[in-house]
Amino acid sequence: MKRVLFVVYQAPVGSIWVNEAFRTTFGMYGEDIEPAIVLMDEAVTAIAKRNEPERVGLLPVKIVHKYIKKYGTEVYAVKEDLEKFKVTEVDEGCMAKQIPLSDVKNLIKESDFVIFM
Amino acid sequence: MKITIQVMKPAYTYEDLDSALHIAEAALKRGHEVRLFLFSDAVIGANKGIKPIKIDRVIPERMQALIDKGLRVDLCGICMDYRGLTPQHIIEGAKPSGLPELAELVATSDVFINFMA
Amino acid sequence: MVIMIKYGLYHEIEKRKMSFADAGDTVVLIQNGIFWTIREAYKKYVKEGVKVVALKDDYLARGYDEKDSPVPLISYDELIEIFEKDHKTAG
Repeated sequence: MKRVLFVVYQAPVGSIWVNEAFRTTFGMYGEDIEPAIVLMDEAVTAIAKRNEPERVGLLPVKIVHKYIKKYGTEVYAVKEDLEKFKVTEVDEGCMAKQIPLSDVKNLIKESDFVIFM
Repeated sequence: MKITIQVMKPAYTYEDLDSALHIAEAALKRGHEVRLFLFSDAVIGANKGIKPIKIDRVIPERMQALIDKGLRVDLCGICMDYRGLTPQHIIEGAKPSGLPELAELVATSDVFINFMA
Repeated sequence: MVIMIKYGLYHEIEKRKMSFADAGDTVVLIQNGIFWTIREAYKKYVKEGVKVVALKDDYLARGYDEKDSPVPLISYDELIEIFEKDHKTAG
Protein backbone atom coordinates (compact mmCIF):
# COMPACT_ATOMS: atom_id res chain seq x y z
CA MET A 1 0.00 0.00 0.00
CA LYS A 2 1.20 3.49 -0.84
CA ARG A 3 0.68 6.45 1.41
CA VAL A 4 0.23 9.71 -0.47
CA LEU A 5 -0.04 13.09 1.13
CA PHE A 6 -1.47 16.07 -0.71
CA VAL A 7 -0.32 19.34 0.83
CA VAL A 8 -2.28 22.33 -0.39
CA TYR A 9 -0.99 25.80 0.40
CA GLN A 10 -2.87 28.14 -1.91
CA ALA A 11 -6.18 29.81 -1.08
CA PRO A 12 -9.40 28.14 -2.25
CA VAL A 13 -10.67 31.48 -3.54
CA GLY A 14 -8.31 32.61 -6.28
CA SER A 15 -6.86 29.25 -7.23
CA ILE A 16 -8.14 25.78 -8.07
CA TRP A 17 -5.66 23.78 -5.99
CA VAL A 18 -7.85 23.03 -2.97
CA ASN A 19 -10.54 21.60 -5.25
CA GLU A 20 -7.95 19.74 -7.31
CA ALA A 21 -6.31 18.26 -4.23
CA PHE A 22 -9.64 16.88 -3.04
CA ARG A 23 -10.61 15.67 -6.50
CA THR A 24 -7.27 13.91 -6.90
CA THR A 25 -7.46 12.42 -3.43
CA PHE A 26 -10.89 10.94 -4.09
CA GLY A 27 -9.50 9.45 -7.30
CA MET A 28 -6.93 7.47 -5.30
CA TYR A 29 -9.44 5.16 -3.61
CA GLY A 30 -9.69 2.83 -6.60
CA GLU A 31 -6.16 1.59 -5.87
CA ASP A 32 -4.27 0.32 -2.88
CA ILE A 33 -3.44 3.85 -1.75
CA GLU A 34 -4.01 5.66 1.50
CA PRO A 35 -4.33 9.35 0.68
CA ALA A 36 -4.57 12.27 3.09
CA ILE A 37 -4.76 16.04 2.74
CA VAL A 38 -3.01 18.80 4.64
CA LEU A 39 -4.29 22.36 4.35
CA MET A 40 -1.43 24.74 4.95
CA ASP A 41 -0.86 28.47 4.83
CA GLU A 42 -3.62 30.28 2.85
CA ALA A 43 -5.34 26.96 2.05
CA VAL A 44 -6.57 26.72 5.66
CA THR A 45 -9.20 29.31 4.75
CA ALA A 46 -10.94 26.46 2.91
CA ILE A 47 -12.41 25.36 6.23
CA ALA A 48 -13.52 28.82 7.33
CA LYS A 49 -17.25 28.75 7.92
CA ARG A 50 -17.91 31.79 5.76
CA ASN A 51 -15.48 30.87 2.98
CA GLU A 52 -17.51 31.13 -0.20
CA PRO A 53 -15.68 30.94 -3.57
CA GLU A 54 -19.06 30.90 -5.35
CA ARG A 55 -19.58 34.49 -4.19
CA VAL A 56 -17.10 35.56 -6.88
CA GLY A 57 -18.29 32.94 -9.36
CA LEU A 58 -15.73 30.24 -8.52
CA LEU A 59 -16.26 26.56 -7.84
CA PRO A 60 -17.50 25.95 -4.28
CA VAL A 61 -15.41 23.95 -1.82
CA LYS A 62 -18.52 22.56 -0.17
CA ILE A 63 -19.04 20.10 -3.04
CA VAL A 64 -16.25 17.96 -1.58
CA HIS A 65 -17.86 17.55 1.84
CA LYS A 66 -20.03 14.57 0.97
CA TYR A 67 -17.06 12.70 -0.54
CA ILE A 68 -14.87 13.37 2.51
CA LYS A 69 -17.61 11.74 4.54
CA LYS A 70 -18.14 8.93 2.03
CA TYR A 71 -14.47 7.96 1.84
CA GLY A 72 -13.49 8.91 5.38
CA THR A 73 -10.67 11.03 3.97
CA GLU A 74 -8.17 12.28 6.53
CA VAL A 75 -8.04 16.07 6.31
CA TYR A 76 -5.67 18.14 8.42
CA ALA A 77 -5.36 21.89 8.87
CA VAL A 78 -2.27 23.52 10.36
CA LYS A 79 -3.13 25.22 13.65
CA GLU A 80 -0.52 27.97 13.36
CA ASP A 81 -1.90 28.89 9.92
CA LEU A 82 -5.50 28.93 11.17
CA GLU A 83 -4.34 31.49 13.71
CA LYS A 84 -2.25 33.40 11.15
CA PHE A 85 -5.25 33.77 8.83
CA LYS A 86 -7.71 34.35 11.71
CA VAL A 87 -9.87 31.36 10.90
CA THR A 88 -11.89 31.15 14.06
CA GLU A 89 -15.21 29.74 12.90
CA VAL A 90 -14.73 26.41 11.19
CA ASP A 91 -17.03 24.61 8.77
CA GLU A 92 -17.26 21.06 10.07
CA GLY A 93 -18.06 19.74 6.57
CA CYS A 94 -14.37 19.16 5.81
CA MET A 95 -14.01 17.24 9.09
CA ALA A 96 -10.50 18.68 9.35
CA LYS A 97 -8.31 17.81 12.29
CA GLN A 98 -6.35 20.76 13.54
CA ILE A 99 -2.70 19.84 14.03
CA PRO A 100 0.49 21.76 14.81
CA LEU A 101 2.99 22.27 12.00
CA SER A 102 5.41 19.93 13.77
CA ASP A 103 2.93 17.07 13.21
CA VAL A 104 2.88 17.75 9.45
CA LYS A 105 6.49 16.67 9.38
CA ASN A 106 5.48 13.27 10.78
CA LEU A 107 2.74 12.91 8.18
CA ILE A 108 5.28 13.72 5.47
CA LYS A 109 7.80 11.23 6.80
CA GLU A 110 5.17 8.49 6.96
CA SER A 111 4.25 9.06 3.30
CA ASP A 112 5.77 7.49 0.21
CA PHE A 113 4.98 10.45 -2.00
CA VAL A 114 4.17 14.01 -0.97
CA ILE A 115 2.49 16.23 -3.52
CA PHE A 116 2.50 19.97 -2.85
CA MET A 117 -0.09 21.92 -4.79
CA MET B 1 12.36 1.05 -11.79
CA LYS B 2 9.13 2.80 -12.73
CA ILE B 3 9.22 6.59 -12.44
CA THR B 4 6.22 8.87 -12.83
CA ILE B 5 6.68 12.60 -13.21
CA GLN B 6 3.73 14.92 -12.66
CA VAL B 7 3.64 18.46 -14.03
CA MET B 8 0.93 21.00 -13.24
CA LYS B 9 2.25 24.36 -14.46
CA PRO B 10 1.95 25.54 -18.07
CA ALA B 11 4.81 25.04 -20.52
CA TYR B 12 6.73 28.10 -21.67
CA THR B 13 5.46 30.19 -18.75
CA TYR B 14 7.39 28.00 -16.31
CA GLU B 15 10.35 25.64 -16.52
CA ASP B 16 8.58 22.60 -15.05
CA LEU B 17 7.85 20.74 -18.27
CA ASP B 18 11.40 21.40 -19.51
CA SER B 19 12.82 20.00 -16.25
CA ALA B 20 10.44 17.04 -16.42
CA LEU B 21 11.57 16.18 -19.94
CA HIS B 22 15.26 16.43 -18.94
CA ILE B 23 14.60 14.07 -16.04
CA ALA B 24 12.57 11.73 -18.24
CA GLU B 25 15.35 11.61 -20.82
CA ALA B 26 18.00 10.82 -18.20
CA ALA B 27 15.81 8.14 -16.64
CA LEU B 28 15.05 6.52 -20.00
CA LYS B 29 18.78 6.46 -20.78
CA ARG B 30 19.35 4.59 -17.53
CA GLY B 31 16.81 1.99 -18.61
CA HIS B 32 13.89 3.00 -16.42
CA GLU B 33 10.22 2.93 -17.32
CA VAL B 34 9.10 6.56 -17.37
CA ARG B 35 5.60 7.99 -17.32
CA LEU B 36 4.66 11.65 -17.52
CA PHE B 37 1.32 12.82 -16.16
CA LEU B 38 0.22 16.29 -17.26
CA PHE B 39 -2.28 17.87 -14.94
CA SER B 40 -4.09 21.21 -14.93
CA ASP B 41 -2.51 23.83 -17.27
CA ALA B 42 0.39 21.47 -18.07
CA VAL B 43 -1.85 19.59 -20.53
CA ILE B 44 -1.45 22.49 -22.96
CA GLY B 45 2.19 21.46 -23.42
CA ALA B 46 1.10 18.43 -25.47
CA ASN B 47 -0.77 20.56 -28.00
CA LYS B 48 0.77 19.80 -31.40
CA GLY B 49 -0.42 23.20 -32.66
CA ILE B 50 2.05 25.05 -30.44
CA LYS B 51 4.12 27.46 -32.55
CA PRO B 52 6.89 29.21 -30.67
CA ILE B 53 9.17 31.81 -32.26
CA LYS B 54 11.96 30.24 -34.30
CA ILE B 55 14.77 30.46 -31.72
CA ASP B 56 12.67 28.82 -29.02
CA ARG B 57 12.37 25.10 -28.28
CA VAL B 58 9.29 23.22 -29.44
CA ILE B 59 8.20 21.38 -26.32
CA PRO B 60 5.58 19.09 -27.94
CA GLU B 61 8.18 17.95 -30.47
CA ARG B 62 10.66 17.27 -27.68
CA MET B 63 7.98 15.30 -25.86
CA GLN B 64 7.17 13.40 -29.04
CA ALA B 65 10.85 12.48 -29.48
CA LEU B 66 10.91 11.03 -25.96
CA ILE B 67 7.65 9.15 -26.60
CA ASP B 68 9.47 7.56 -29.52
CA LYS B 69 12.17 6.50 -27.04
CA GLY B 70 9.68 4.91 -24.67
CA LEU B 71 8.20 7.73 -22.60
CA ARG B 72 4.46 7.37 -21.99
CA VAL B 73 2.45 10.54 -21.58
CA ASP B 74 -0.96 10.77 -19.91
CA LEU B 75 -3.07 13.92 -19.87
CA CYS B 76 -5.79 14.67 -17.35
CA GLY B 77 -8.94 14.47 -19.47
CA ILE B 78 -11.04 16.91 -17.44
CA CYS B 79 -8.14 19.37 -17.53
CA MET B 80 -8.17 19.04 -21.33
CA ASP B 81 -11.93 19.65 -21.47
CA TYR B 82 -11.54 22.77 -19.34
CA ARG B 83 -9.00 24.11 -21.82
CA GLY B 84 -10.79 23.15 -25.02
CA LEU B 85 -8.22 20.52 -25.94
CA THR B 86 -9.46 17.45 -27.79
CA PRO B 87 -7.54 14.26 -28.64
CA GLN B 88 -7.12 15.68 -32.15
CA HIS B 89 -5.07 18.57 -30.73
CA ILE B 90 -2.47 16.50 -28.92
CA ILE B 91 0.72 14.86 -30.10
CA GLU B 92 0.70 11.28 -31.21
CA GLY B 93 1.36 8.84 -28.44
CA ALA B 94 0.10 11.10 -25.65
CA LYS B 95 -3.25 9.94 -24.37
CA PRO B 96 -6.17 11.54 -22.60
CA SER B 97 -6.42 9.93 -19.24
CA GLY B 98 -7.86 10.57 -15.83
CA LEU B 99 -7.65 10.10 -12.11
CA PRO B 100 -8.01 6.31 -12.20
CA GLU B 101 -4.88 6.20 -14.38
CA LEU B 102 -3.09 8.65 -12.06
CA ALA B 103 -4.04 6.48 -9.09
CA GLU B 104 -2.71 3.44 -10.92
CA LEU B 105 0.56 5.28 -11.58
CA VAL B 106 0.86 6.30 -7.94
CA ALA B 107 0.17 2.73 -6.82
CA THR B 108 2.60 1.08 -9.21
CA SER B 109 5.48 3.57 -9.48
CA ASP B 110 8.62 3.19 -7.43
CA VAL B 111 9.25 6.91 -7.61
CA PHE B 112 6.76 9.74 -8.10
CA ILE B 113 8.33 13.09 -8.92
CA ASN B 114 5.96 16.00 -8.47
CA PHE B 115 6.58 19.53 -9.66
CA MET B 116 4.65 21.50 -7.10
CA ALA B 117 2.01 23.99 -8.17
CA MET C 1 13.28 11.09 1.40
CA VAL C 2 14.18 13.29 -1.56
CA ILE C 3 12.74 16.80 -1.25
CA MET C 4 12.65 18.91 -4.40
CA ILE C 5 12.86 22.70 -4.01
CA LYS C 6 12.03 24.64 -7.15
CA TYR C 7 11.00 28.09 -5.89
CA GLY C 8 13.39 30.78 -4.72
CA LEU C 9 14.03 32.73 -1.56
CA TYR C 10 10.63 34.37 -1.14
CA HIS C 11 8.70 31.12 -0.99
CA GLU C 12 7.46 30.31 2.51
CA ILE C 13 6.43 26.75 1.69
CA GLU C 14 9.86 25.88 0.34
CA LYS C 15 11.28 27.03 3.69
CA ARG C 16 8.94 24.62 5.43
CA LYS C 17 9.78 21.80 3.03
CA MET C 18 13.49 22.23 3.72
CA SER C 19 12.89 22.27 7.46
CA PHE C 20 11.05 18.93 7.23
CA ALA C 21 14.24 17.21 6.00
CA ASP C 22 16.13 15.04 8.48
CA ALA C 23 19.64 13.59 8.44
CA GLY C 24 19.79 11.07 5.63
CA ASP C 25 17.32 12.97 3.47
CA THR C 26 18.37 14.79 0.30
CA VAL C 27 17.26 18.29 -0.63
CA VAL C 28 17.49 18.88 -4.37
CA LEU C 29 17.57 22.51 -5.50
CA ILE C 30 16.25 22.83 -9.04
CA GLN C 31 15.07 25.74 -11.19
CA ASN C 32 14.85 28.88 -8.99
CA GLY C 33 15.52 26.67 -5.99
CA ILE C 34 19.20 27.12 -6.80
CA PHE C 35 18.95 30.67 -5.41
CA TRP C 36 19.01 29.07 -1.95
CA THR C 37 22.74 28.44 -2.51
CA ILE C 38 23.43 32.18 -2.50
CA ARG C 39 25.11 33.09 0.76
CA GLU C 40 24.13 29.57 1.81
CA ALA C 41 20.56 30.73 2.50
CA TYR C 42 19.42 27.12 2.74
CA LYS C 43 21.44 26.67 5.93
CA LYS C 44 18.87 28.64 7.91
CA TYR C 45 16.30 25.92 7.23
CA VAL C 46 18.19 22.70 6.56
CA LYS C 47 19.47 20.63 9.48
CA GLU C 48 22.97 19.18 9.82
CA GLY C 49 23.26 15.81 8.13
CA VAL C 50 20.83 16.61 5.33
CA LYS C 51 22.48 16.31 1.94
CA VAL C 52 21.85 19.37 -0.23
CA VAL C 53 22.59 19.31 -3.96
CA ALA C 54 21.71 21.62 -6.84
CA LEU C 55 20.93 20.88 -10.46
CA LYS C 56 24.03 21.98 -12.37
CA ASP C 57 22.24 23.12 -15.54
CA ASP C 58 19.80 25.28 -13.57
CA TYR C 59 22.64 26.75 -11.50
CA LEU C 60 24.84 27.66 -14.45
CA ALA C 61 21.87 28.91 -16.50
CA ARG C 62 21.18 31.51 -13.82
CA GLY C 63 24.61 33.03 -14.25
CA TYR C 64 26.56 31.51 -11.39
CA ASP C 65 30.01 30.00 -11.46
CA GLU C 66 30.44 26.34 -10.62
CA LYS C 67 33.33 27.12 -8.25
CA ASP C 68 31.08 29.39 -6.14
CA SER C 69 28.52 26.74 -5.32
CA PRO C 70 28.48 25.75 -1.65
CA VAL C 71 26.73 22.49 -2.54
CA PRO C 72 27.55 19.72 -5.03
CA LEU C 73 26.18 20.43 -8.50
CA ILE C 74 24.58 17.39 -10.10
CA SER C 75 23.55 16.35 -13.58
CA TYR C 76 20.12 14.91 -14.44
CA ASP C 77 21.79 11.52 -14.59
CA GLU C 78 23.03 11.94 -11.01
CA LEU C 79 19.54 13.06 -9.98
CA ILE C 80 18.16 9.76 -11.24
CA GLU C 81 20.87 7.97 -9.23
CA ILE C 82 19.57 9.72 -6.11
CA PHE C 83 16.03 8.49 -6.84
CA GLU C 84 17.35 4.98 -7.47
CA LYS C 85 18.66 4.94 -3.89
CA ASP C 86 15.77 6.74 -2.19
CA HIS C 87 12.24 6.22 -3.49
CA LYS C 88 10.34 8.47 -1.10
CA THR C 89 9.71 11.90 -2.56
CA ALA C 90 8.24 15.30 -1.72
CA GLY C 91 7.89 17.90 -4.41
